[in-house]
Amino acid sequence: MSDKYTQFVSHGLGRDIAKRLGLPQPVVLRRHQPGRPLIDGPVLVQGSTRGADSLAAALLGWNLDVRRHAIPKEKLGAIILVLDELAHPADLEKPVLTAATSLRDLAPNARIITVSRTAASTPEPATAAARQGVDGLLRSLAKELRAGATGNGILLADGAGTTSPGTLGAMQFFLSGRSAFVDGQFLTVSSAAGRLPGDAGKPLAGKVAVVTGAARGIGAAIARTLYRDGATLILVDIPAAGDHLAEVANEVRGTALQLDISRDDAGQRIIEHALTRHGRLDIVIHNAGITRDKLLANMDAARWNAVITVNIAAQLRINEALLASEHLPDAPRIVSVASTSGIAGNRGQTNYAASKAGVIGMVRATAPLIGGRGGSINAVAPGFIETDMTARIPFATREVARRLNSLQQGGRPGDVAEAVAFLASDAAGGISGEVLRVCGQNLVGA
Amino acid sequence: MPVNGQSDPGQPRPGQPVPGPQEPAATSSAQSPKGGDATEAAAAPRLRRAVVVGGNRIPFARTGGAYTKSSNQDMLTAALDGLIARFGLQDERIGEVAAGAVLKHSRDFNLTREAVLGSALSAETPAYDLQQACATGLETVLGLANKIKLGQIDSAIAGGVDSASDAPIAVSEGLREVLLDLNRAKTVSRKLQVLSRLRPKDLAPDAPNTGEPRTGLSMGEHQALTTAQWKITREAQDELAFNSHRNLAAAYDAGFFEDLLTPYRGLTRDSNLRADTSLEKLATLKPVFGKNLGAEATMTAGNSTPLTDGASTVLLASEEWADAHDLPKLAAVVDGEAAAVDFVHGKDGLLMAPAFAVPRLLARHNLTLADFDFFEIHEAFAGTVLSTLAAWEDEEFGRTRLGLDGAFGCIDRSKLNVNGSSLAAGHPFAATGGRIVASLAKMLHATGQVDGRPARGLVSICAAGGQGVVAILEAL
Amino acid sequence: MSGSQTVVLGELPALSKLYVNAAAAAARRRILGAHGGTELPAYTHEVRGVKPDVTNLTAYQHLIGETASDVLPAGFIHALAFPLAMSVLNRDDFPLPLLGMIHLANKVVQSAPVLFTEALDIRARVENLRGHRAGTQLDVVAEVRATGQEEVRWHGVSTYLAKGVFLPGIDKPSVSATPPPFSAPDPTALWQLGVDTGRAYAAVSGDFNPIHLSVLTAKALGLRRSLAHGMYLASRALADVGAAKGDAFSWDVAFEAPVFLPARVALDISTVQADGGAWQRSDYVAWNPLSGRRHFSGTVASLP
Repeated sequence: MSDKYTQFVSHGLGRDIAKRLGLPQPVVLRRHQPGRPLIDGPVLVQGSTRGADSLAAALLGWNLDVRRHAIPKEKLGAIILVLDELAHPADLEKPVLTAATSLRDLAPNARIITVSRTAASTPEPATAAARQGVDGLLRSLAKELRAGATGNGILLADGAGTTSPGTLGAMQFFLSGRSAFVDGQFLTVSSAAGRLPGDAGKPLAGKVAVVTGAARGIGAAIARTLYRDGATLILVDIPAAGDHLAEVANEVRGTALQLDISRDDAGQRIIEHALTRHGRLDIVIHNAGITRDKLLANMDAARWNAVITVNIAAQLRINEALLASEHLPDAPRIVSVASTSGIAGNRGQTNYAASKAGVIGMVRATAPLIGGRGGSINAVAPGFIETDMTARIPFATREVARRLNSLQQGGRPGDVAEAVAFLASDAAGGISGEVLRVCGQNLVGA
Repeated sequence: MPVNGQSDPGQPRPGQPVPGPQEPAATSSAQSPKGGDATEAAAAPRLRRAVVVGGNRIPFARTGGAYTKSSNQDMLTAALDGLIARFGLQDERIGEVAAGAVLKHSRDFNLTREAVLGSALSAETPAYDLQQACATGLETVLGLANKIKLGQIDSAIAGGVDSASDAPIAVSEGLREVLLDLNRAKTVSRKLQVLSRLRPKDLAPDAPNTGEPRTGLSMGEHQALTTAQWKITREAQDELAFNSHRNLAAAYDAGFFEDLLTPYRGLTRDSNLRADTSLEKLATLKPVFGKNLGAEATMTAGNSTPLTDGASTVLLASEEWADAHDLPKLAAVVDGEAAAVDFVHGKDGLLMAPAFAVPRLLARHNLTLADFDFFEIHEAFAGTVLSTLAAWEDEEFGRTRLGLDGAFGCIDRSKLNVNGSSLAAGHPFAATGGRIVASLAKMLHATGQVDGRPARGLVSICAAGGQGVVAILEAL
Repeated sequence: MSGSQTVVLGELPALSKLYVNAAAAAARRRILGAHGGTELPAYTHEVRGVKPDVTNLTAYQHLIGETASDVLPAGFIHALAFPLAMSVLNRDDFPLPLLGMIHLANKVVQSAPVLFTEALDIRARVENLRGHRAGTQLDVVAEVRATGQEEVRWHGVSTYLAKGVFLPGIDKPSVSATPPPFSAPDPTALWQLGVDTGRAYAAVSGDFNPIHLSVLTAKALGLRRSLAHGMYLASRALADVGAAKGDAFSWDVAFEAPVFLPARVALDISTVQADGGAWQRSDYVAWNPLSGRRHFSGTVASLP
């Protein structure tokens, strides 16, 4: 499962060879390690609005080395481009081109983060054009970055400002190694809800979380990450995967619940288990999913229905049960694992893509429902992730798939888990109905 | 009538050790249920309940199958880890873990403790090995439940494991003696002298056999004698085997084992289970035991349990501990009884001890067979279950052997092994007790109350050496 | 036994020498003819202060399925006295050929336990020479006492048959009614006897009679295969009766069809209880489970 190529081209001879031959030069990404600083190097906050000032002040409060003006030749850890008062596309020039002079000073694995407003929230065409312009700008810039650097954007809806909890939470996420494989993506902060964790190292302390499909792969990684972040875990998988489930449960000090989530009473069973054994249920991670790939011309009902049943129908039914339950605490959080197949499509995966696109539709429609209880629901759409499943793809196909993104490598299950853990935290309380891709800015699709 | 495991109100036991910290001093306020003299002896102290929280086992595998290379320690650890995962017991210091194996390597002298050390439990959890042949598993439950009742411990894990695939092979007596003497020899010349005693035949190993040491008869041959004695027909045995497979398959299909079993080594169901078996298929099997008896041989591979590998565990606790840990309380371990018969001299069949243990246990609690909602009678052989039932229904046996006025009674067959038993699941000797107790506790809890009293279940397990251990569980 | 003379031997005679002597005597007889005696020698042989070897005792106990307690099994005492008994049969004035004699029956009365720590006085004599439909039979009587004490702890009577030897003046008994055919009961035990059973018992009992040792040595003496020792079989049955028999009991066995090795032997032990439920006696019978032929039968009973 390890990406030997990336290791090879990251050092000495391998690096020279790759450079001369013009081969992809993926770097080993900076990933979150508990206890390490949020980011290495100074953070340049570009922009002169009041929003920029207050954001810079907030970042200073995190003990970051904040610059309001670049010092030539100084290696930068991040550039934050605050564009929250754009009224016309012409307003882009000054901040953007000023930032451009610092691009060559970016340290490896640096971050560029834009902060701007959602285009949809203004009736003014010129303002909308300027705001939408940030989208094209950021996505293109992300593709120009090298050496593990990523570019992502935070979009503020009307109710949110540059120092709203959701904005700061997303900022923390994007700056940190938790977002290593998230590139060219936007997160919309739709409200001032949510709060930053008291203990930055344990943002999920005191929370009880359910992870479905937790026996292996991405689900197991989610469980480990939530555990690291302080959550108490309930791990769900089908009875046949019970042995792997038990291993993960014992590793993360959780309880294993052998349960086929496509059973009618799965939601009730999960709620009952959580309440009787842990007294509460704060977080549900819908991770369980299956593939039954076939070209549509060869598709049979069994394959189609199995995928639809497990990947989306089960989530819908469990969510219904959750929302109907009187025992959920305030601010419940649901995170579903979707897929870039559900966004861009994938040959041979009509059933899978339908189910995963369905997840995205469900998340958007459920956001207002759960918002009424102070909660949030979001989806994470993984791209090419190095798992047991992708390890079975033939070598050549796998190599191509790996390199087809801005970071020129596959992601790790832990990268998906980091995004899930962030969206499950109260810091992301102001973010709901969103789909966050963890794909290294895959070149296909949106 | 005792309702909560106050095991023996009729026989006050002086000299009982002082139970746990919260135990009220039981002195003169003796409750003498049958109007006896309350002052004649110190009353039995009021014991607290021991409850079954749940269980976990790995699927049972026919010998030579999925677990061929797995050791007893491997399987017991896997069963323990599944239990720990189910109930969130990681790093928990359990009061005591007791388990055992019937076929045991000498290197496994501390099998249970080693399994605990290899598990996710706290390394400070004490453990001990226990062995009572096929009753090992049930005896660990009863022994640990007693410790909980006395207040010595608050939580416990009972278990059992057996591998007939990875069974110990002993070196021949000749080689063993040479090796031991070689070890004692101090000089080279003495060592050579010892070695010169070695003969080629000494190199052939002694395979374990399942024969009774005192009779040389295999368990199957013993049961064949009993089966013939009680005139149990081939048809009745095949029907019991068929029901076992049908019931177990239905239980799997209904998800009954979802919170009782954790897969292991690719197995998700007991490999001996034949969901598609039929009376016709069972009828075609040739007899394997009792072929030299005068009577018709009726015992086949279909109505006898095969050699099996597997492990099981049961989590026991005081009510306080279960509550404090937000864990379920499925059933109370009310009481148990062991019995043994003199099979060496042919007085009773090798596996007939439960026929004596159950009447004694029920008498102690003023219960009859009609007071039970579930009967879990271990199916060592179909003939064992049917012979036991036949003995209980037999007037003369009741009078002459049990000292009753007539027959002990008969059971409602629809309450017998309703989710299958050993004929279908297989029988890894020491693991069967844990399988039965965990399953029965779940059934009792699901049933709840019957006629205004807690649902009640009887466990009966026969064992090598002419032994039997039986127990009563009650729903909580 | 009044009128007999006691010969005190310095030590237990070596069985191997006795067998060699017996073979020599047999050869002499073949050449010179029987010496013509028809009377049993009126001598009691005695050895005093015999101490059993504890290692050998343990091996014996393990082989026949007794717990290795400090009490000598009744069969072990038989083996202990056996060389002395043989020395009487080996006397020049003994009228029958020793080699080829068949052990027909054995009766032991164990009046009190004998501990391995005790020194023993052992006496042996022969008596009761009489006819048999197949030859001539006699009893070898052995007695064991603690050294210097009068009380007989162990009393054994072994009946042997010299097959095909008819002595003048000793009448064949009138042929008795043939016993009812044997019908095998359900077994309570099944013994698997390997081909080395005879050698193993020889090693712990000292009885290296060639008919028990191997196929070759047995064939040399005209048998198709080697035989299990009768006293091995009877001692195992005694062990199987178990602890109920206590320290004082009688133990009878009558041998019928010999057990050719290797063999499967089926055994039934049935216990008879007195009215109060106390053990009264255990009857045992062993047979070949394939042919149904009876090998031996007997009784272990409490002493009155």
